[in-house]
Amino acid sequence: MKNGESYSKSRRNFVKGITAGLLLIPFLQFCSDKVVQFIFRLSGTNHLLGHRLWIKDFPKPSSQIQIPYLIVGGGISGLSAARQFQKKGILDFLVVELESHLGGNSSNGENQYSKFPLGAHYLPLPNFKDKELLQFLEEEKIIIGYDSKGLPVFDELQLSFAPDERLFYKNTWQDGVVPKEGNSREQDVEFQRFFKLMDSFRQGKGHDGKYYFDIPLQLSSDDVAIRALDKITMKEWFESNNFKVEPLFNYIDYCCKDDFGLGIEYVSAWAGIHYFAARKQDATSNKIDSVLTWPEGNARLASHLKKYTDQKTLKNHIIYEVKVENSKVVAKAFDDVKKISVEIIADKVIMATPQFVNQYIIKDRKEFTKEFHYTPWLLATLTVTDLADNDSFPLSWDNVIYDAKGLGYVYDQHQSLNQIQSKQVITYYHSFSSSDLKKSRKELYKKKEDHWKQFVFDDLKVAHPDIEECTEQMEVFLLGHGMVSPAPGFIFGEAKKQASKSIENRIYFAHTDLSGISIFEEAFHQGINIVNQILDETTLDS
Amino acid sequence: MGKKFLRFEFLLLFAVFIIATCGLIYELVAGTLASYLLGDSVKQFSFIIGVYLFSMGIGSFFSKFFHKNLLNTFVEIEILVGLIGGLSSVLLFMLFESVAYFQFILYLLVFVTGFLVGLEIPLLMNILKDKVEFKDLVSNVFTFDYIGALLASILFPLILVPKLGIMGTSLFFGMINVSIAIALCFLLNKELKRSYFLKAKAIFSFVVLLTVFLFSDSILSYSEGKLYGENIIYTNSTPYQRIVLTHNKSDYRLYLNNNLQFSSADEYRYHEALVHPAMSIAKSVKHVLVLGGGDGLAVREILKYKQVEKVTLVDLDEGMTKLFKTNKVLTDFNKGSLNNPKVTVINTDAYIWAKTCTEKFDVAIIDFPDPSNYSLGKLYSLNFYQTLKNILQPDAAVVIQTTSPYFAPKSFWCINKTVMQVFPQVDAYHAYVPSFGEWGYTIAINGFGSTFNQVNRKADKLKFYNYQFDRFNYFTTDMISNEIEINRLDNQILVRYFDEEWGKL
Repeated sequence: MKNGESYSKSRRNFVKGITAGLLLIPFLQFCSDKVVQFIFRLSGTNHLLGHRLWIKDFPKPSSQIQIPYLIVGGGISGLSAARQFQKKGILDFLVVELESHLGGNSSNGENQYSKFPLGAHYLPLPNFKDKELLQFLEEEKIIIGYDSKGLPVFDELQLSFAPDERLFYKNTWQDGVVPKEGNSREQDVEFQRFFKLMDSFRQGKGHDGKYYFDIPLQLSSDDVAIRALDKITMKEWFESNNFKVEPLFNYIDYCCKDDFGLGIEYVSAWAGIHYFAARKQDATSNKIDSVLTWPEGNARLASHLKKYTDQKTLKNHIIYEVKVENSKVVAKAFDDVKKISVEIIADKVIMATPQFVNQYIIKDRKEFTKEFHYTPWLLATLTVTDLADNDSFPLSWDNVIYDAKGLGYVYDQHQSLNQIQSKQVITYYHSFSSSDLKKSRKELYKKKEDHWKQFVFDDLKVAHPDIEECTEQMEVFLLGHGMVSPAPGFIFGEAKKQASKSIENRIYFAHTDLSGISIFEEAFHQGINIVNQILDETTLDS
Repeated sequence: MGKKFLRFEFLLLFAVFIIATCGLIYELVAGTLASYLLGDSVKQFSFIIGVYLFSMGIGSFFSKFFHKNLLNTFVEIEILVGLIGGLSSVLLFMLFESVAYFQFILYLLVFVTGFLVGLEIPLLMNILKDKVEFKDLVSNVFTFDYIGALLASILFPLILVPKLGIMGTSLFFGMINVSIAIALCFLLNKELKRSYFLKAKAIFSFVVLLTVFLFSDSILSYSEGKLYGENIIYTNSTPYQRIVLTHNKSDYRLYLNNNLQFSSADEYRYHEALVHPAMSIAKSVKHVLVLGGGDGLAVREILKYKQVEKVTLVDLDEGMTKLFKTNKVLTDFNKGSLNNPKVTVINTDAYIWAKTCTEKFDVAIIDFPDPSNYSLGKLYSLNFYQTLKNILQPDAAVVIQTTSPYFAPKSFWCINKTVMQVFPQVDAYHAYVPSFGEWGYTIAINGFGSTFNQVNRKADKLKFYNYQFDRFNYFTTDMISNEIEINRLDNQILVRYFDEEWGKL
């Protein structure tokens, strides 16, 4: 023994050893029997109530509500419409929501350690041109001012903290989600060529002076050559542009799934490129590819919008029939708590509900609704005692495992100011990308809890070998119709156009599936635009 | 008869030899430990030898009160000496970290061991006095006694400490001591009364010592100490950090997660430079905030100003502040500052605390660890300084330890530039701290009511800082870096600069 370290080490161990060894020997057996309690919960969107739309075994309405404006669906589209009504000075509207809470895909859960998202979890920095969104962010103090160049200053606490992304690639965590380290020269060259191409798509404008790719999507150019990209899959585009290397294929596949649920093989090339090219990254002079995020994900944005619906909501109500009668709209709703039905008479109705639902509520919509596809999603929130890995790059906000089944996980406490967390809460995302989404959906609901538990663990084990032993809680959340999927031909196709048409200037439609891509900005503008349309028409009428 | 008696006498004399060896070993262990832990080896050794010899005298004196069952008593004492002496080093190490009256316990243990050893020789002579001629008895007993002492003093520095270490040595000799007792129990079975009881006691003591010994032995391979090249006298892993205190000659060093926090030889330079510029510049110093600095050394400097009414120290690590409130060596360094009634210690996350704090402070001393990871990097962010500004009085002074402008100029000026976004007056200065190198600070005033060269008050008897601020804020070209970004939570550019600059060293 050459130095003091060993003494002091033995000092501590002496205490521990003597105490544990002599006193606890008889109890050791009990300790080994008592494993850490693993809690597992499975939930999801209320598909059981939703599925009653198939048979409509609801009681006859026993009461009646009269309201000028009815909004069906309390997701971001519906909430944004409510906000726009209030902005226009209209207060006599009602929002009806099937779930027990508002927010739709922007909802969240919470456990004793953290809030966590149950769907969308971030908003990329908006385009500078998108004044309506900038204004909303300013109202909610997400933008705290404008700098000398006139660019918005975002609240530091709501921008994703550094380090924001890492990728487990070749057995090492690396900075960012683009596979970089350990690539061959050929691979590097292809990545560079790809990003250069995306830059030109980002800057490019069509003959109509509009960007090739923009947000909201309807502002994009109608340039034929660009729109033709919607006819092929992203994989076909990849190959026809002579891209070959696997890490690039894999990276694009990841990106497509991240935004659309559908992978490179099934998603429209127009949508795939939109992911890279629609965000102009021109709203800040700081970190241009930053995102806004919160522990509860976009539920934060939903909660900002919710204030416009105070005292104007019916939750746990499913609208099961909407039709125009005597220049009024008659909507029938079933109260899932009181188990009674109510009839709502409105002047105008905004259906801020997805089309797969609308087809059961409003007649003659089944035909074009067939063209709408929705990807199922599985989210799993894990509470982990120690998220051990090989320490090659620190835990980040977004953690992606190369070539995994899922999209990796988000560290839910990343936006916390604390130095350390006693337990770590992470949310794992998986989209069921396949050619037959219906089949995937059936599988999602048919497979048992144990299957999904093991599925999540197995997918994370690549980077965290002992995650199963370290997990105390897992909450799996299933979304049967997670988001609309832009398969080739859909975004500029006939079905979307048909579905967007209002009925007799009484029933209007607003939902991200009418944009074709399921992102916050689309929903936000869907809500605003539909209210503007209704009010413009009303002004014209009078 | 004669043969049997020879064996009896020989056995007891051998016991004398062992007792003498062991006794001296315990004395040397105590002396070595005391100088390891407390420093000043001449004083420690001198006191311990004195106390030990004195207590042997007391023991000898009390030996005359023993009349019955002398042999039994002798064996019992043998067991006790082995147990107490053997465990003494372990006990001292254990208590050093948490007990303020460590020295009392040290001398108590030395006294008890000396007392018991002092009892033994007269007892033995009493046992043998009827069986051996007095002349032979005295000569034999003392011969063996002194030979044993010589053996111990030679073995101790040359073989025992290098091979077994302090703790191993004392435990090993405790076991030898007790095994003599066991041997006596078995060999003198007939002479002893109720020998089964003694046997049980002896064997139990032996097992205890052996268990502890094996523990200490199995850890010998653990060699974190090599990292420091100094004697580690205390280590503790709190939930937040690993605290290591080392001692080498007259210098104590505290490491947090292997980073040097201070060296007792020159920490006064670091802490005077940290505290006094801000304290002299601030308009008022009634209520002072310290973030980090759980060692209480900055608080020690703050308390040199009588105008200070209240000091609030926020440090995440309760283990750290507790250590610096209770440990004798460490409270000598910080002059018991954390126990001062003016000082309130809050163990919580400083960032979260600052977000919810409703008080306003006149001076803020920020002494966080260097921004070596993304968690610590948050404490140097734009948002953190904005948060800090909210809890400061107008014209409050703020000082931030800002790593080394020589080793890490980008990191240094990054923090400085970030602070500039928030406070109306910002400057930087540096001081040479031999154990750290050239070290830097960022200082700010929350208003225009004072300037950096203003001295509103002074503390007496400073060793380093002379209240001439403009002697400290000149930076040579090799300590300057331009084209630096501001550190925000969303870029944490500082952590990258820091990693880049310190990583290449």
